Parts: sequence; structure tokens; C-alpha cells
Amino acid sequence: MRRWNAWRSATAEAEMPRERVTLEPAWLLARRPYRETSALLELLTAEHGRVGLVARGASGARSKLRGMLQMFQPLLVSWTASGDLGTLTGVESAGRGMELAGERVFFGWYVNELLLRLLERHAPQPEVHAAYGTVVAALAGEGAETALRRFEVTLLEALGYGLPLEGVFDPSARYRWDPEQGVQPGGGGREVSGAALLALRSGQFEAPDTRREVQALLRTAIDRRLDGRELKARRLLREMRQRS
Amino acid sequence: MNHYGPRLSGLIDALRRLPGVGPKSAQRMAFHLLDRDRDGAADLAQALADALTGITHCPECRMFCEDGHCAYCSDARRAAGQICVVETPADLLAIESGTGYRGCYFVLMGHLSPLDGVGPDELGLGQLETTLAGGGVQELIIAINPSVEGEATAYYLAGMGRKHGAKVTRIAHGVPMGGELEYVNASTLSHALSGRTPA
Repeated sequence: MRRWNAWRSATAEAEMPRERVTLEPAWLLARRPYRETSALLELLTAEHGRVGLVARGASGARSKLRGMLQMFQPLLVSWTASGDLGTLTGVESAGRGMELAGERVFFGWYVNELLLRLLERHAPQPEVHAAYGTVVAALAGEGAETALRRFEVTLLEALGYGLPLEGVFDPSARYRWDPEQGVQPGGGGREVSGAALLALRSGQFEAPDTRREVQALLRTAIDRRLDGRELKARRLLREMRQRS
Repeated sequence: MNHYGPRLSGLIDALRRLPGVGPKSAQRMAFHLLDRDRDGAADLAQALADALTGITHCPECRMFCEDGHCAYCSDARRAAGQICVVETPADLLAIESGTGYRGCYFVLMGHLSPLDGVGPDELGLGQLETTLAGGGVQELIIAINPSVEGEATAYYLAGMGRKHGAKVTRIAHGVPMGGELEYVNASTLSHALSGRTPA
């Protein structure tokens, strides 16, 4: 009997190694109520990429987790996992978070939704985690739009869809360009200014005209990755702007 | 798998719809009602049927109201010229029983959350706008739970209130009564400090 038990636990471990992670830097991307008092969390972590965790009792009246588990706050998260969904075992604050207000919250939601749609679970993306910290820190300030564009470029690169921007561009010339194929001398793609392509390459989007063009270009590139699914944060922001 | 007759399993399944009730508790409740308290069971059935036909949402404040008459939308309350916006009926009752506020309310039944598909229509913001446009509202009190989603919701409520010439206020948030600063989380504490008032 003892031998059989030993064999059983050995095979169970071989099939499902129980992973234990402690105090991993993470950001909360989404949180949904789960059962009575628990919550399902989606987190972006530094070493483990996007992970899904069950936070038991997180929505209970006495839960200390409730105040802690907020979006746009740097967290240190511990969990155990044996399979796709892990179990949260601890959360600590990793510093002062960002106080986003008004439309800036929608910008943050947009970034979160983008990551939820485009990142697979358990694929480590340390550069995306770092870029997330940068963009969230910038969202509350003046350079929010620029920071969003830089984040989009980093995300596309991390996913293996870096924009083809090789070659010499004349800022005043116009090119036919496609986010996957690059410059199309024979037509195809969309018409863009050399200035926008240079801005994309250097990450300098401060000039309003260039920024608008860069925004449209990045949007085409991102929409292609989304396979025609609309981002809800984007639609809701549009609706709210129309109302007020 | 199922050892019950169709009626009993129907009752148990129905009881399991209640929050926090699993199969075992549902079975215990069903046996209790059938075995020990048949009169109580009849009362429960009657009360449920009455509630379903008689209780609706008030078209003005979206709180539950009985037979089309809302206890929170009386003329006396309207005369105060205040509307307090809350997320849930439970929040309304908490303010009503815990504070001296006796103005009108508006219950959103949630907060903005694009990832869950909750937008302005789900929150009935059109209805609130109609009430504000009708005039007579001097103050819009935002009593939304402090969270990221709450911030975004409050921002739009504030915009709507100002558009219709109402003074917009937000309830203070900070350290709870009997709480200890040491154990309050960082964002609550920074809110409490930035929102300090003259002593």
C-alpha cells in the first residue's frame, strides 16, 4: 500500500509539478468575481509572463486583499500552481501606485485589455513587464499619448511583430508602407510620410501631426493582431466622449 | 447520480441558486422545509411570489420599489435638491441607516468596467441625465466605492452634474473609525493625507 501511494504521488508530481512562486513583481490586469467571495485575477508578472490566479476570499467583507488588489499598483505576488490556473497565497504592495483619474483610467484599461488579448499565459515577457511599469507611470502625466505609442511598439516587438523600419527615409517624402512587409515601392500598404516612419524608428512622437499618423499606423498593426475583434476600452472611451 | 425524485431535485436545484448555498446545504434546507416546517415553506413560497410580482426597479432612482411606489423618491426628499449616487442597493441602505442623509438617490447597479462589458447604458446614466436635466437638483453627491473603476465612473458623473449646473461633491475616503494607520494600505493613506481637512 505504501509503495503504491509512493508511486501514485510520484507520477502525480511528474505529471503536474506544483510550482511555488514567492514575491514576484506583478501588475493586476483584470479581476473578476469568482464563486461567492473569491476572485479570478489576471496578472502580468516579471518572470512568468501573464498568469491567471484564484484569490480565495478576496471579495469577502473582511478581506485585506480587497484594497490591495487594485489595478495600476505595483505588487509582489506569491502563488502556487499545478496547471493553468494558480492559487494566490500572498500579496504585498511594492510601492506607491498610480492615481489615475478620468480618461487616464481608460488609457490604462486599454493597455490591460491589449495584454489580455495578445499575451498567452505563462510566456515570460520581461521586457513587456518593464514597459508596462513605464507606461503606467507616464499615464498620469503629460506624456501619456507618447508613452502609449512607445508601449505599443515594444509590445509588437516582444510578440515577434516588430515593425519593418529598415532603410533610409526622407522626412518630407511619402511612402507606401505595410506594418508587416515594410516599404512597398510597387504600391500596396498605406501612404505614410517619411517623418512618421522616422518617428516610429526613433520613438520620438512629440510633434502632434506625426503622432496622429503614428497612432493610425500602430492601430492598423495592432488591429491585424486582434483579428478584427474590437477593444472594449477603446469603444467605451468613444461612447463616453460622445456623451459629455 | 441523482437519488431524488424530480420534485425534490427541482427544489434542491432551486435552493442552490441562493448565494453561498451548495448541494449539501440545499439538501438540508429542502428536508427542513418538507419535514419540519411545511407552514414556513408555504409562507416562503407566497412571499417569493408576492415579491416577484410586487417589487420592481424605480424608474427614477433604480432602487427596488413596491407596487410602483418608491420610498426614496418622495416629494419631501426631492425638496432637498440632492441626489446621492451609489453603486448597489446595499450601499443605499448603508447610507440610509448609518447617516442622517435624507435626500434622493440614484443606484447604478455597478460601475464602469469595459472588460466586463459594463458601459453607460448598463448603469442607467441616460436616466440620471434626464433627472438632472429636469432641474431642481442643486447637489450631486458621488458615493461610489473607491477603486480604479470607481474613479472613472465618478469622473463621468462629475462631468454630467456640472453640465446641468449642479454642485458636484464626493464623499471623503480615508482611515476607517477605529482603524490603525500602520495597517491601512498605501493608497488609502495617501488619499487620507491629500484630502485632509482643517481641524
